[in-house]
Amino acid sequence: MGISCKQATDYISKKEEGKITIWQRYQLWRHLAECYLCKRFEKQNQQIHTCITEHKHEDNHEKLPQEDKNSILQALENAEKDEA
Amino acid sequence: MDLKTNQHNVTAWVNDYSDIMYGYVVQRVKDTDTAKDLLQETFLAAWRNVEKYNGDASVKTWLFTILKNKIIDHYRKVSNRHTEELAAGEKDNDSYYFDHTGHWTKETYPSDWGNIPLESKEFYAILGSGIKKLKEVQAAVFTMKYLDGMESEEICKVLNITASNYWVLIHRAKVQLRAYLEVNWLVR
Repeated sequence: MGISCKQATDYISKKEEGKITIWQRYQLWRHLAECYLCKRFEKQNQQIHTCITEHKHEDNHEKLPQEDKNSILQALENAEKDEA
Repeated sequence: MDLKTNQHNVTAWVNDYSDIMYGYVVQRVKDTDTAKDLLQETFLAAWRNVEKYNGDASVKTWLFTILKNKIIDHYRKVSNRHTEELAAGEKDNDSYYFDHTGHWTKETYPSDWGNIPLESKEFYAILGSGIKKLKEVQAAVFTMKYLDGMESEEICKVLNITASNYWVLIHRAKVQLRAYLEVNWLVR
């Protein structure tokens, strides 16, 4: 009896991080040979990974709204008063 | 420079660096309120510890070091809360994705994505919103692993979780994220 899809998808993560035993690797290989759903999962998982790697160093240009800058400045001012 | 002058510098740093720091933190936490809180805590910590800043690193690097520590502290709190929830008997539910034999449920069969334009900013944006839809603790683990490239051992240590906790969290995060992308990217 082979492994289930739930186990197979878990092994896919472990394989990606090199944390899979030889026996698990064999079981996964057997499962993927017959299960196109888990094969898709594996491929999509790699695509997600690649996408993050490609984009993660891009600057996020979301700006902090001015009112929130003001409240940080206010908090600093209060801290100063408390100290005085 | 005396302490007062240094502390006044921190005010100037808010104007110089808060945007770029906000862009960093907002990608790593669940909502903008949390991001703003962590940012404010960072500047307050910088203000209190400004005499420790010795000019070896750039101001930006120093501020980012504090910010990263604040984010890690936040993740740790989220993880502790999750552990308490689990102890209280609140269970995560896998049965939506896998049936009792561990096979994919019909509703969640992965479909063929064809060629995904991985360079597309739009795809990445949907991915980002998918991460925010995860449980906070799953999102934390996923972000540490994929955005920050941390090793699983390090993540377990920081969050004070076991390796098996880690694998369960990362597995659920991936299964859910994949399903989210399928719905939100393919069916546009």
